[in-house]
Amino acid sequence: MKQVNFILAVESYLVRKGMAVVLQRIPGASVVKEFGSVDLLTRYLEHHGMDFLIISDTLFANATDLYMNNPALLERTILLNRDPSAEDRGKKTRGCISLSEEKEEIISKINELLNPYFRDYRANTHGSLTDREKTIVRLLSMGLTNRQIADRLFLSTHTVTTHRKNIIHKLGIKSVSGLTVYAIVNNIITIDEVTSKHER
Amino acid sequence: MCQAVLKHHQLLPLLPRFNIKLGFGEKNVEEVCRLNRVNTDFFLEIANAYLDEDYIPQTDLSLFPIGSVVAYLTSTHDYYLHIALPKIESKISRLLEGSNLSEKERGLVAGFFDDYKKEFLDHISREEDSVLPYILELEKQSMKEEPDSGFLRSLQNDTIKEFAQEHDRLENSLENLSKLIIKYLPPFEDFDLCHQVLTDLSDLVRDLVDHAHMEDKILVPRVIELEQQLTRKFNAG
Repeated sequence: MKQVNFILAVESYLVRKGMAVVLQRIPGASVVKEFGSVDLLTRYLEHHGMDFLIISDTLFANATDLYMNNPALLERTILLNRDPSAEDRGKKTRGCISLSEEKEEIISKINELLNPYFRDYRANTHGSLTDREKTIVRLLSMGLTNRQIADRLFLSTHTVTTHRKNIIHKLGIKSVSGLTVYAIVNNIITIDEVTSKHER
Repeated sequence: MCQAVLKHHQLLPLLPRFNIKLGFGEKNVEEVCRLNRVNTDFFLEIANAYLDEDYIPQTDLSLFPIGSVVAYLTSTHDYYLHIALPKIESKISRLLEGSNLSEKERGLVAGFFDDYKKEFLDHISREEDSVLPYILELEKQSMKEEPDSGFLRSLQNDTIKEFAQEHDRLENSLENLSKLIIKYLPPFEDFDLCHQVLTDLSDLVRDLVDHAHMEDKILVPRVIELEQQLTRKFNAG
């Protein structure tokens, strides 16, 4: 699983922890370090990398030197504003969050930022099976072999194998028995339709 | 230490992984850890993360030697293989024996668990035979002045990235079994035993999530960092 590293720089302990808890709710986002002052943040960034910096407006105002020496940092900065009406104010940061925003708003903003990082990962875990893949899972649960499935669906066995690989990739389930139980609990097949091992 | 365990009995499965035994007397957490040669900070981070999934590490986890992280992961594997899975397996077979399930339904549950166990074993032996030794070697080499050139060449193989990407979600599949029991199978006569099976399954799922979290969020980034350091050193020299 790919991981996107965040650094938090907020003077208020409560706000910092609150932000960290929200980030924990986002798969793949990880808070690697928290700072309450610009000094420590500057020193840390001299030696360490990160993907995004979430910084409060107060600390941002104190960090002019940091940004002067490292202009590329702006591109990776998310501003945390106390004043909800204070948009980006032409500061050219990557984005901004306001303290008064609700959890869902914050999460969707951050998810948007993460999208380019996660295109593959999300497609794998959040994408459900296609109709064709569901059909194949269904037939597998009924005890058909790759060959039989290929004949039934007028496909080559090679295509069926490719579908099966994609299914394994999406669900992380390899065995037919695992797929069968998956198919039942996801209403792709009923228990009555399943063929048990000794019937095969 | 006694208070911590009394208040959070969920910590109990962690103790054997650190080789910590009960009978703490009046000793506090630090004393117990010292007695068992466990790094107290490391123990606390693991325990807190185990209790609260929203917990944010207080100590820089990169400070802990990779060796202790690997040792913890290995003893967790042992717990899964020798305690958690056999326990669930025997309860499931007792549950099936005393049930009115059809032959087909029984085969479904038993077959599912058999195959799950096989996949689980595969996953763990892949980790223990290739990934973990590679990580330990990586740490050893990174402490040397002159890393072996053979090892450096093998760095290009992206072992850890592959591992991180392929990291199977072993817990998702287990949850399907609980859903099957709760929702789709005819009710079991022995509700108490069924309750135990469901509780054990859900404990194991939680433990696996925590385990994957350790691997993905602590181990993998550390290893990538070490790999990069070594590659830089090699290219510079």
